[in-house]
Amino acid sequence: MSSELDSGSQLGVLYYCPCSGCMRTTDAPVKASKQKREFAELAEEECRAPLDISTQKQLAVLRTWPIEKLYYCDDCSEVRCPHCVIEEPAGYHCPNCTFDVPTASVRSEKNSCARNCFHCPVCTHVLVVVVVESTQGDGGQSCSVLSCAVCMWDSREIGWEFETSTGISAQIERMRAGGPAVKEYASLLDYWRTVQRTASATAVGSHGLTSSASFKHRLTSAGLHGNTTSVDSLPPYKAACYVDSGAELTEDFKALEDANIIPFNGDPRTKEPQRVRLHMKLSRRCRMCHHILIKPESKAHNSRFKIQLLAANFLPTITFPNSLPASKARGSLLEHINTTPLRVGSTMPVVLRFTNPLYTEMDVSVDVGELDAAQTDVLAPRFTLPPFAELWEYDEDEDDSSLASPSASSSGRGSVKRGIIHQHGNQIAIQLDVTPRAQTQKLTIPLCITCTHLDDMAEMDTSDTSTPRRIVNTFWAYVSLGTVN
Amino acid sequence: MGRLHLAPQALVCKNTILEGDIRIGNGTVVHIDASIIAKNGPIIIGTNNIISDRVKIVNNHTTPLVIGDNNQIETDAVIEGRGIGHKNVVQVRGKVVGTSTLGNNCVVGVMCETDPSENVPDNTILFGNPQSRRTRSDNNAEYLEVHNKHLQYVHEMLPRYNAIIGAE
Repeated sequence: MSSELDSGSQLGVLYYCPCSGCMRTTDAPVKASKQKREFAELAEEECRAPLDISTQKQLAVLRTWPIEKLYYCDDCSEVRCPHCVIEEPAGYHCPNCTFDVPTASVRSEKNSCARNCFHCPVCTHVLVVVVVESTQGDGGQSCSVLSCAVCMWDSREIGWEFETSTGISAQIERMRAGGPAVKEYASLLDYWRTVQRTASATAVGSHGLTSSASFKHRLTSAGLHGNTTSVDSLPPYKAACYVDSGAELTEDFKALEDANIIPFNGDPRTKEPQRVRLHMKLSRRCRMCHHILIKPESKAHNSRFKIQLLAANFLPTITFPNSLPASKARGSLLEHINTTPLRVGSTMPVVLRFTNPLYTEMDVSVDVGELDAAQTDVLAPRFTLPPFAELWEYDEDEDDSSLASPSASSSGRGSVKRGIIHQHGNQIAIQLDVTPRAQTQKLTIPLCITCTHLDDMAEMDTSDTSTPRRIVNTFWAYVSLGTVN
Repeated sequence: MGRLHLAPQALVCKNTILEGDIRIGNGTVVHIDASIIAKNGPIIIGTNNIISDRVKIVNNHTTPLVIGDNNQIETDAVIEGRGIGHKNVVQVRGKVVGTSTLGNNCVVGVMCETDPSENVPDNTILFGNPQSRRTRSDNNAEYLEVHNKHLQYVHEMLPRYNAIIGAE
């Protein structure tokens, strides 16, 4: 959260995303492409089915987010929350060895790292390959084992010793290859492949030619009169694990029931290390227009983003300042704001700071929603946030409205705008007068904020490039003010 | 007034706090900022130990606190018990508290503690958060080789950068 918030207090600002169907604001540009229009119409129909008020209120808590969690689609000019974005994988990597796994290998390696990354069966820490003296054979030979640095577990405890220190996974596969489980699986596969072949052969026989292979089959089997193999005539599968088709398991399979392979089964000495699961990097798209909002670099070690469309880069950030920087006229810090506790009946000033992230001016209007618990007066309902600029050309520090003395260096704006406490660069601090009417644990004021700015990017689609379009964003912000006594 | 008896090959930095009746054996290294305080009883430290920086070895009991040979006591550890055996590792911020003792080949993990009065048996590993313990199944055969290399390195490098007690 913003560093200006005191963690002990309960002040906070949450933004509301009304995305049960992604309702659109007015003035959002109409998409030129037909496909996007169709998507938009579908979404409009979705949100036309109204929810009743009480359900909406209960659901509202799911739809409020701090601004850090919100995205912004600049194609639709809309806010997008984590519920109204489509996530898709943008790369897979092992969290331990940070090896980027190509997408094709992910499936074949069952979403785990194919190299030497394993979890300790005792403490789930990551295992390290260590070269030690072998306990098998005549001793004195070195071999590699997996060992845990935290609990000192060793793969020698389950009898795993490897010849080389790389490709441990492959060596484990080889070790398991002769085991009864793998043999059983292979014979099962063979059996069902035979069944499948027979089934498709008989099916083809009734439906005619489907492929050259089955044509050949028909030709060869045509010579065998009456030898129509059907699925029913195949012998049933005989599992190698049962003794003479009885219900008793053979010795091999009784040993398997010790469940060396199944994790979390009692005695840790028989547990096997599990492979480390791969992590995904996700990219996010707008649900309406499928425009990419977040696209990370697919390399694991690189934590940057190729595309990063965040709400904080398009919408004003609303925060509670703990102190405001010194104004030139007064030469001191305005401190101790937002610290006085709220009491029923008494009017308290609450200072909110709006920060403009854009390179253009933004007109902001603040309206208060209906609230029984408190009466709020916004002293400055409409103001203009100056753009973000590297060089601070702004030295109009306006003082607290009670002093009402414009600074000498103000550029032509003679009067102090009522309600604006402080103005510096691209930030404006405004004052709200809050009069609580009832005691609550957590007083939350809904504010409806409308921001308008001119789009300074050249519009590619339209022929008329001289008039930049106006973009209006309206959203609700819920301002939490803490306890009312 | 206590007596400090350092064996000839012991390497003890000057910036340490040594109080009371202390005996340190050959080859043992005591790093900077370590405190060995024999408050109520003597402290006897064996040979080839590595006592890292900020370690606190305090003997609150009248009986001697005996530390065996080839132990490694890592940074910020605390030893307040009645003693430890040989080839143990007390990892960073590990604690041997109260009247506890450690056997041989034990490992007190990072930020782990013994119970206030227990004799931790040989080959025990204390680890994790929440703390649990297990018994090691190897015989700690690979420990000495690495430990001796560590000792050799420290004996070579430490006097180059720190003042040593007894150096002329």
